[in-house]
Formats: sequence, C-alpha cells, structure tokens
Amino acid sequence: MSAPKAPVNPNLKIMAGALVCEDCELIGDITIGARTVIHPKARIIAEAGPIIIGEFNIIEELVTITNKSSTDANSGKVLIIGNNNVFEVGCHVEAIRIGDHNVIESKAKVGSKVEISNGCIVGCGCILNMNEALPENTVVYGDKCERRIQRERPPAQMLQIDFLTRILPNYHYLMKPNLNVNVRAPVKK
Amino acid sequence: MATFATVDLVKYLCTCEKKFPICRLYLCKHCLKLRCIDCVQHEVDTPYCPNCLEIMPAQEAKLKKNRCSNCFDCPVCGHTLMTRASGHISPNPEDPNKSVTKKTYYLACGFCRWNTRDINMLDQTVATGNWPMLENPHVKRINNLLENYKLMAQVEKADRERKKYVKRRSHLYLQDKFNLSPSVMKRKGLSSFSSLSLKEGDKTIEDLEPSVPVESFDPLPNDYYTQPAALEKTTKLVHRLSVPEFQPEDVSKLHPINKHLIMKKSLRCRECEHNLSKSDFNPCSIKFKIQLTALHWVPEVRIMTPSTFTYNKETLVTLTMSNPSVFNTTVTLSQIENETDVDYCTAKVELPKKELVLASRDEPSMHVYEDSSQAHEFKDDPKLIVFRKGNKIGFVVKVTPVVPQGDVKICFLLKHEFRNTTVAALQSESKEPEIKWLEHKVYLCLGTI
Ligand SMILES: [Zn+2]
Ligand SMILES: [Zn+2]
Ligand SMILES: [Zn+2]
Ligand SMILES: [Zn+2]
Repeated sequence: MSAPKAPVNPNLKIMAGALVCEDCELIGDITIGARTVIHPKARIIAEAGPIIIGEFNIIEELVTITNKSSTDANSGKVLIIGNNNVFEVGCHVEAIRIGDHNVIESKAKVGSKVEISNGCIVGCGCILNMNEALPENTVVYGDKCERRIQRERPPAQMLQIDFLTRILPNYHYLMKPNLNVNVRAPVKK
Repeated sequence: MATFATVDLVKYLCTCEKKFPICRLYLCKHCLKLRCIDCVQHEVDTPYCPNCLEIMPAQEAKLKKNRCSNCFDCPVCGHTLMTRASGHISPNPEDPNKSVTKKTYYLACGFCRWNTRDINMLDQTVATGNWPMLENPHVKRINNLLENYKLMAQVEKADRERKKYVKRRSHLYLQDKFNLSPSVMKRKGLSSFSSLSLKEGDKTIEDLEPSVPVESFDPLPNDYYTQPAALEKTTKLVHRLSVPEFQPEDVSKLHPINKHLIMKKSLRCRECEHNLSKSDFNPCSIKFKIQLTALHWVPEVRIMTPSTFTYNKETLVTLTMSNPSVFNTTVTLSQIENETDVDYCTAKVELPKKELVLASRDEPSMHVYEDSSQAHEFKDDPKLIVFRKGNKIGFVVKVTPVVPQGDVKICFLLKHEFRNTTVAALQSESKEPEIKWLEHKVYLCLGTI
C-alpha cells in the first residue's frame, strides 16, 4: 500500500531515533523526542500552542493528543509530555501537562483542565474532566472512575519499544527525523 | 439472538400462573407442562472454582467455606488476581563471585493494578498455593458457638424422641391398664428411654460466655475534624463487607480474597421428579446432558414490527411464529374467554381462524428457502400469512385497543402439536411419534397508544 505523502509540516521536529509513522496526523508545532514511537492513525494537534513529547513514549493507533486552551489565561501554553508514557489505542488527551511513566489506557479521556504528574494510570474508558492535578501514582479505574494510589509506578516499556522499532518499519512508511540533537544522553532510564 | 433481546414483550404463562419469556421456561416432557425457574427444584451438582475449574466435593467445599484455596480475587476491585513472576539477582551461596537469578511470584490485579507488594506481602518462591492466610480473630468463639448449637440440636432431637416415647408410653399405660400389653413391649420401651437419657447425660452444654453488648463508643479523635480525610488510605464499605471477618479500615490491611466457588446446578420437575436441566459434570464443558428449555419444543411468537395504535380503531399487527420441531407443526390460535384483567389485556384481537401450519425446522436449508415455492406448497392465504421462510411464518392479527391510553396488550391461547421424540426413540416399533396437543397462554405487549 502506498501512503499519500502528507504535506510537509514546517514546525514538526522529529529527533533522531524517534519512530513516527507517516500515516498519522501531526498538525502545528510539535517536537517528538528520541525513541518515541508513534503508530499510524494517531493524531497530534498543536492547536493552542506547541506540543513537546519527550523520550520513550508509545503513542498507539487512533490516539488523539490536542493542545487546547481551556481558558484565555493559558492560551499559547506548551503541552509538555514527559518520558516513558504509554497512550493506548483510542485514548483522547487534552491535558495541561503530562509527567513521566504514565499510562493512558484505551478509550480513556483526559480533559483540558487536568494535569497528570508521574506514574499515573488512567484506566480504560475513564474520563477525567475536572479541574485537577492527579497526584503521583494515582490509578483511575472502573466505570465509576474509582481511584487509588499505587506503591510502584508502571514499568517503562523498553522491550515493547525495541520490538516496535524492529517491526513497524516493515509495514509502514516512516517520517524522517529532522533533528539530530546529541544534547541528551541516548539512553535514559 | 433476537430471542434473548427485549424478552419482556412476549410472555408465556407458566403452569404456576407466572408469566415468563419463552427463553426462560422449561417444558417437562413427562408432565407436558411448562415450568419456570420459580416452580422447579434447584439442586447443587458440583461446586467448582470458576477460575481454575477444579471440582471440589460438596463436603470439602463446606469445610473450605466454599472458597478455592488457589485462586484469589482483588480486594480492591474484585477481579481475579494473576500470578506474576519476577526475577531477582542474588549472590550464589556457594560461589560468591557468581550470582543466580531467583524467580519469585506475587499476585497482581490487571484491572486496578493492585498487587500483593502494595501491602508489603512477601513474594513467594512457588507459583501456586502457600499464600499466607489471615487467621480469623473470632475463630475460637465461632467454634464454641457452633459446638453449642450442635449440642443443642442433639438435646432437642432427644427431646422430640422422648415426647414420642411419652406419648407411646401413655398409650402403653392405657394398654397396660386394660391388661392388653405384653410385658416384653413395655420393657423394650423402657430400655430405649433409659438409653436416651444416658446419651443426653454424657454431653452437657458448656456454659457459654454471653456476648457483651457494646454500649458506648469512644469519641472520634480530634484529627477526624481537623485533618483532611485521607481517602486514598481508607477502605470503602464494599472492601470491608467483602471480608466480614476482618473488615479492614486501612488499605494496607487489604488481603487477597479466596475466590468463591460456583456450582453446576440441575433443575428438577417437582411433580414428576424428572430432570429438566442437567449440565455436564465437567466444569470445562458448557454442554448439557439434559436441557428441556421450552424454546426447543414450543413455537415461539414474536412481534415483527412496531405499530401505531389509536383508541377503538383496528390496526393490523404482524406477528411471527417459528417452529422448533423437526416435524411440520399445526397451530391454532384462540381467544382466552375469561381474560378480563386489564393488566394483561387492553385490546380486542381478531386472530386467524384457520389452522396455521409451520414447516419443520431444518437447520441446513434454513437460509436458502424461497418464499414463493413454500407458500405454494402450504397453500397459504396471502391475506393471513404475510410471509413464510423456513420454519417461520409471519401472520396478521387485527388489534383494536379498548383503552384510550397506555400499553396495548393482547393475549391468546396457543395450541400446538407436540411430538415427543425421545419417547418415540424408546419405543422404536411405532415409527411415527405420538401427537399430543399442548396449550399455552401467550401475553403480548404490542406498544403504546
Ligand atoms: Zn412456574
Ligand atoms: Zn481456583
Ligand atoms: Zn483490582
Ligand atoms: Zn414433570
């Protein structure tokens, strides 16, 4: 299958080592860190301001990440997504900020007033739309979006990233990294 | 699948006068009557664990309080816990320069991510069993009470026996009085009485410490009013009630819960004591040895399309009827004469007067039948029978609501042929199974005005 070449986004910055499938929608000022994997059919829309995605993140199919301004005060703010996060199939994220080691499970929705710290899990289908900051290691689960604090944060998905880096190029066209920054150490745990 | 959706629109009247959708009813082939879940006898066949599918004999299950000893539920959300393995590198005791990887196991919930490490429970070196059990703090008291109840039951039983004996004795006495009783009988009676009293004598009811009622509670600590509630550290009511013997208040006290056993159940007709439903003994199997659901024997009536109704105005409603039997089945519909209860009948209905013939159910050819040829074969009246497809017909009834508003409900008597194929198989000499006519009352809710 031959994917149509998407029009070149001048504001798109892909670090060397990142794996971005061509068949996804990247609109606006987006920076994608090294070793981050973006599956086909993901949508990242930097609407109200730039989106900066860190390293070792996995963004799966049909995930939508939008930088939306929830109020006038934070229009133009930067949506920073840290490292080692997993965005599972079909989740919808408009958060203010996302830290490290979080998992947003399938079909979960994180509203534009939510700030996610580190080690949090938003369970399948859970919807967060209040004005809040999730404390570290929060787990939101179940149809009533119940919460608990777990002791350990979810482990990094290194094996999965290695696997995807091997497999995805066999079946999909990739976007070429256009930034070769060696400021950061290549492997960060 | 449509049979199991919106099941409350068409209901059949069970022999016990309760109304149920046909998929919930059974047909006893010995009494030839409909039975429902409320008028059959339920029997426990085998308790088994729904997770590891291990069968447990009823006695053992009772001892283990109907719980599996190897499978656990999450104390937070109730999902089944999984055993997870993790490798640890530790120095080799024989050669300090080398290290060995030791596998340890812990339990984790895949849904809310709770795991046994959350409560500082030590990892296990074996994958199954061996998980530490909590000791019920009240076990002594409970055992005492149970012991006591057992004794009490025994005393009561002895009492009953004695009463029986006393009665007999008075009778004996009378007999004695009238010089009718042989002395042997008397002695026999006496001896049995003495043995009874002896049995009672060697076990006496222990003096049980009575329970102490709680009269006052400590006042709530000041922190309760001054500190913000630590919701993430406190358990919820469901968490406490799922383990009534411990009722943990702190999340760190939550402990894996042994999985409840479930059971294979069989249903028995109360009148003839034949089985109506008996599942396969093996818990892995979802098959039934005996399954006399009414769906397999009684023609199923369904409403084809919703209609609009007006008060006192006739509306044509198309119903469908399908034949579960492998024989062509003749069906007649008639009014229920004395149904005046407006709860179940709010419209006049004009039913097909002729007999309806349902074609046999033939699984392989069910989807290739051509309507026209079949209609010709059965000489259908197109005004009456709208369509015919395989074992199903669509027929028209004329409905006139007699209430100005509310639900339009009709009822009728469904009379159909029934061939008892199992009995026929037993008496193989007569090739054609005997035809019986069964009657069922059918109640339909067609919609609202
Ligand atoms: Zn019944
Ligand atoms: Zn089990
Ligand atoms: Zn759980
Ligand atoms: Zn019976």
